[in-house]
Formats: sequence, structure tokens, C-alpha cells
Amino acid sequence: MALNSRAAFESYASDLEKKWDARMSGSGWVISVGISECSLARGADKTLAHLRLALEAAGLNAEVRQVGCAGWCWAEPFVEVRCPHHPPIVYANITTDRVPDLVEAFKRGDVISGWAMGVRSDAPFKGIEPLDEHPYLKGQKRLLFERAGVIDPESIDDYIARGGYSAWIKALFEMTPDQVVDEVKTANVRGRGGAGFPAGIKWESGRRTQVWPKYVVANSHEGEPNVYKDRRLIESDPHLVLEGIMLGCFALETPNGYNYVGGEHVMAIKRFREAVKQAYAIGLLGENILGTGISCHVKTRTGGGAYICGEGSALMYSLMGLRGQPRTKPPRSVEEGVWRRPTVLNNTETYANIPAIVNNGGAWYAAMGTEKSKGTKLVTIQGPVERIGLVEVEMGMPLRELIFGLYGGMKDGYTFKGVQTGGVSAGPLREDQLDLTVDFDSMTEAGGMLGSGGFVVFDESVCAVDFARYLMAFNRYESCGKCTPCRLGTPALTEILDRMRNGQARQGELPLIERTSQHVIDLSLCGLGQVAPMPVLGMMKAFPEEFAAHINEGRCPAGVCPMDAGAAVLSISGAV
Amino acid sequence: MADLTQSQAEIDLEPLRDILQRDFNPDDYQEAEELILGACQEAQSLYGWVPQPASQLIADHLGVSINRIFGLLTFYADFRTDPPGKHAMLLCHGAACFVMGSERLIGELNEDQQLGPDGRTPDGAFSVQVVNGCLGVCNLAPVAQIDHHHYFGHLNRERLAAVMQAIRDGQPVEDLDGVE
Repeated sequence: MALNSRAAFESYASDLEKKWDARMSGSGWVISVGISECSLARGADKTLAHLRLALEAAGLNAEVRQVGCAGWCWAEPFVEVRCPHHPPIVYANITTDRVPDLVEAFKRGDVISGWAMGVRSDAPFKGIEPLDEHPYLKGQKRLLFERAGVIDPESIDDYIARGGYSAWIKALFEMTPDQVVDEVKTANVRGRGGAGFPAGIKWESGRRTQVWPKYVVANSHEGEPNVYKDRRLIESDPHLVLEGIMLGCFALETPNGYNYVGGEHVMAIKRFREAVKQAYAIGLLGENILGTGISCHVKTRTGGGAYICGEGSALMYSLMGLRGQPRTKPPRSVEEGVWRRPTVLNNTETYANIPAIVNNGGAWYAAMGTEKSKGTKLVTIQGPVERIGLVEVEMGMPLRELIFGLYGGMKDGYTFKGVQTGGVSAGPLREDQLDLTVDFDSMTEAGGMLGSGGFVVFDESVCAVDFARYLMAFNRYESCGKCTPCRLGTPALTEILDRMRNGQARQGELPLIERTSQHVIDLSLCGLGQVAPMPVLGMMKAFPEEFAAHINEGRCPAGVCPMDAGAAVLSISGAV
Repeated sequence: MADLTQSQAEIDLEPLRDILQRDFNPDDYQEAEELILGACQEAQSLYGWVPQPASQLIADHLGVSINRIFGLLTFYADFRTDPPGKHAMLLCHGAACFVMGSERLIGELNEDQQLGPDGRTPDGAFSVQVVNGCLGVCNLAPVAQIDHHHYFGHLNRERLAAVMQAIRDGQPVEDLDGVE
């Protein structure tokens, strides 16, 4: 049933809100299991099925529902239990073998406090600390992830019951497109894809161009080897991203929205498509939305697993069904983008910030974060740390607090050596540089970069030369091959690093790397080529002694590189 | 575990035709071009690769040339134009897996399984594709995904060999299912 007026939407929303409240504070049991790509990998679907059967067998009348990922990958599969006797409890790592004991405890009216991660209440309950006091959550500020793990991502009703689409209604009925752009400009929200270009300015120049039709595109490609924030966001709260894209369309007064999702993110694609379908069904998308005369259409397009398609112009070519290869700029994409028409392209996370900005105003948003980087940032950290997952922190958090506080520091038996920043486009930071903060500018001087928020912590068993070679090989493999400096420069750099790894290094390798890198940086066509040598230069800057040991002493301090492999293996570079 | 790949002889174009007719109905040529990659994804997930008859079907349906489709299939890493082994295995080589030892694992896998240049085991049971990106389940690093959504985490040489052997023998691998 399609809604056709503001009043109809508001009564629909308030009904849902009441239903939600009744369900969540009523006398029934509500058991939520997080289902997303990361929890499926740990068998959450089986946990859900077992829970359903076990609860039925125990005679407990419970509603078992799926929710999205809440960011705590280390705690998957997680189960949240709401019942009349006690405040909601979140249990961590509920694999199928734990299900019978858990259900048995429910039946007794007991809790298993040892398995609990926290209780959703301000005070401890039976020895379980409040969830917000958990070290993983205490330092977080969750704006985008507020609903993640709470609502069912495949239900538009859940989203609306928790205040969703209120920004869309506000924009449609109370604001002009110019006002929306002004709020985004005041908020000074910078592009979350890595470059950090202010979204408001991009939107403004998109508005100014008088060529039609215009397009609004979300970049959910995310092909970097260490970031998974966008796909988790779409898996957990697809309507939030959709609402952001819709507001972008409203601001540009165009009905044409796209979301370009990397083809390998199967569940994100599925859930986003479902979200679009649901929004059409109740009349939030389509023609003449809620009687305003405004139209908006959002289409989902998928990529095919090429890292280069995260670059703006390559993404647009891929969207048009061509090989994803960048082109020279200008013209910039706000002048000539998809189908050679003005196109505003932003990262998924950027769009997800927009609904809250429209609702609360740009000034509210600009009050968060640092002077030049506003708001919050989704961050993923991997490697041998105690807790692995995705967090959302306010801009300006020191890396030390992030790694050793939220993420719990190194696992037993691992010693911190460094943290690779900015995906494959920047260098690492050493321990003494960890007082730098999470924002767009502070890491740059040290050779690091915020990028899209992917950090990889590595320990003493990882060799800097080997790691540099890995990152270089990634860039070599993913080079689209269009322009010569990147196509030939990245293999040349990989080859030099291979010589070092195999004990064949010559004197003068380091200046050679610097010279070759400079060529690639200065002459490459696109942004990805221009930063391709950065990880190597960063590694050389952070760990010069290891490079020296490889070249001068012919030894690998970490004991990883095949130093005595000789020249014969140089041509074999593994599967990548 | 069900086989996900079909050999050349058993390619049945009917399911693909149904999907194309149901979901791929462009309003104009512009939209038809936008839909090519998605249609190739459907073929890839149906057959485990994109056989030439499937490419031709997509080309005819969307009104583009088969050359254009082949150009896309060979550019994007997700697609295969040759039939893979019986089970498709994605071995993650993202940065998180790298720092947990995936490079060594790849070397050992090559040695143990005698993978060919196309990543196939000699008996055709597996096609191994090293994923340059990230599978996004970094808490299980180093991790492999076999035949969609079956993840095997915290791999080392022995564990990976055991998993592969169990799948070869058609044995259940529940107890190895990615959980410590």
C-alpha cells in the first residue's frame, strides 16, 4: 500500500513506533540474532535455527528475529535476549553447542553471566556490566551504527519505527534543495572514501551546473584489502544509506540515484535491493512522492571485482557497462560524469551521514570532531589484536586509545610493531607515532593517511620489506593498465622489492625505488596510481633499518623473506 | 556440499533466460548497457563461469555485441571464461590475512595441491582463486571461502589440507566450520 501524503506517513510511522515499543517492553520474549556476512561465516544462521527449535521444545513462546551486524565481529554470533524478567542482555559467541545450555537457563529464569557481553541498562545486573561500559563500546560514538544490530535490516518498518525517513519527510515538506545543501556545507562533512573532499562543496557545484539530467551516485565499491565498513553498513542499515542517496537526489533536484556496490558483496547487494523495493512499495520512492510532485528513483548496479572501480571516473565507466578505467580530469565528474552528465559521487558512509545532518542541522554535526574533520568515522582494524571488528569513533581519537583501548591491544604472544594506515595508499606508523589522531590531516605528515578508515596492525613476525612487497604487488595486480607509469612502474617496484626479499639486492636500490616512485606519483593518470608507491615509501621511512639489513647484510630481521632463494625464483611471484 | 560449477556439456541456458526475462528489462539502450555487468554476474553465479553461449544470450537479450561482453569478462576479476574445478575456493589475501600468514599459506597450498597456472588442482576438484581484495571476515584470518558462504577460518597448512580432503571425500566439515 503506497502512502500518498505526509499525514499518511506520519500516522503509519507512529503506529510502527507504538508497535515497536509494545514489542520491546511487552511481556513476550524477543530474541535477536545478528545475521550478516561476518556472522554467517561463524554459523549464525545455524545458531538462529537451533535457537528456534530449542525454544519451541522448551515451550517458551519467543519471537526469534534477525538483526544486522553491530560491529563486534569478535563476538559473533551474538544473541540479544529481551524478556519480562530482566533488562535485555547481549550474549557473545553463541555457537550452536551453547544454545541448549542458554535455553535451559532461560527456562530456569536464570542468566549465564559468563557468556554475556553486557546488559542494556545503566546499572549492572547479576554481575553483568552495562553494555555501554564495555571497553569496545565505551569510547565509541555511534551515529551511523546507532540502529545496527537493533533493527532487522530487511524490514523498512523497523527502520521507520526507529525514526527512519524522518529526514526525507523533513526535506520534502519543510526544506528547499538549497537549504539541504547549506546544511551539508555547514556540517562540513568530508568525503569518507579517502580523499576527504567536502561533500557540501561538491553538491553545490553539482547544483550550479545547468545541464540535465543529473545523477547522484553512491560509491559502495570498497575493493581495498582491509576495509569492510561500507558493506557492513549496508548489511546492517541499508535504509540509512538509501535515505542519504535520496536526500542527495533531492538536493540536486534530480530523480536519478544510483548505488554502485562491489559485485563480491553479495549480502550487501541483496539487502540494498530489498530496501529499495520496500521503499517503492510504501511510496517513499517513485513518482509524485507523498503527493509532493517530486520523483526519485534509485537503482542498484554491481561491479565485477576490480579495485580500480573505486576511483570516481572508473566507477562511472563501469556503471555504464564499460571497462572501469579512469580518464583525465578535467572535466570533473560534477560537470561530466555518468553518461557525460553532471554527477555527484560520494562514498556510502558520506551519504549515511546526511539524514542526521538534515534532521539535526549542520551546526549540530559540526560540533563533533576536530577543527577540520567533523563528525564520526567508521574504522576497521585487523591483525593480531584482541578484538577485531568495526567501530565508530568521533574524529580526533588518538590511535593509541583506539588500538590499545577499544580493540584491547595485542593478542597474547604478539608484540606491536606498526600499523598500516590508509589501505594500500599510504605508509605505516610506528609505536611512537600512535599519539596521532583519527582525522583527515594529522597522519599525513608522518606518511600515514586516514583513507577510508582501514588499519592493519602487524607484529614482529611481519617483515617491513615483505609487507611493502605485498602492498606493491596488490597495486601491480590492480593497475588497470591504461597509463604507462602505473602499468610499468608498479611491476618495476615489485621487482626491486623481490630482489631484496630474495637476497639479490644491489647497492643503490633505495634511491632507485625513490626515483621510480616519483615517476609513478608524478605521471600517473588517476588518484590510485598517484598513491600506489606510497606504502613502499612509507615502509622505507618507518623501518629504514630493515631495508638496510636486507641490502647490506643480506638478512631478514623478521626471518620471513626467502633470502637464500637466489635469482631463480625471481620470476615466480606466487598466485598474486 | 553441492557442486556449484557446470561443465561445458551440461550448460542449460533456460534458468539464465528466465532471469534475464524477469529482471533485465531495460527501458532504453542506455539502461541496457548499465545492465550488462549484472547479467554477467547472474551467469557467473549460475554456472560458476560465463560460458560463451551464455555471453551470446546476454548479448542478444540486451542488444549489445558479444565482443563487448568478452571485453568486460576479461577485465573484471570476478568472472571466469573457462570452466573451473568442481569446488570454487576463494583464498583471502587481504592485508589482515597477510599479516596472519596468508602468503606462506598460498605457497604451501601451491606445493601441496600442485595447483596449475589457472589455480586448478590436477584432479579438477578445486579451483583456487586468491582474492586480492578482502572477504570481510577478518576475525577468521587467514580465511577461505568455499562454494559461497562456507567459510573456513584460522587456517594453517594442516587445517586447510584437512578441509580440502574432507570436501573431496564428500564428508561433512561441520567441526571445521570457522569456529575456534
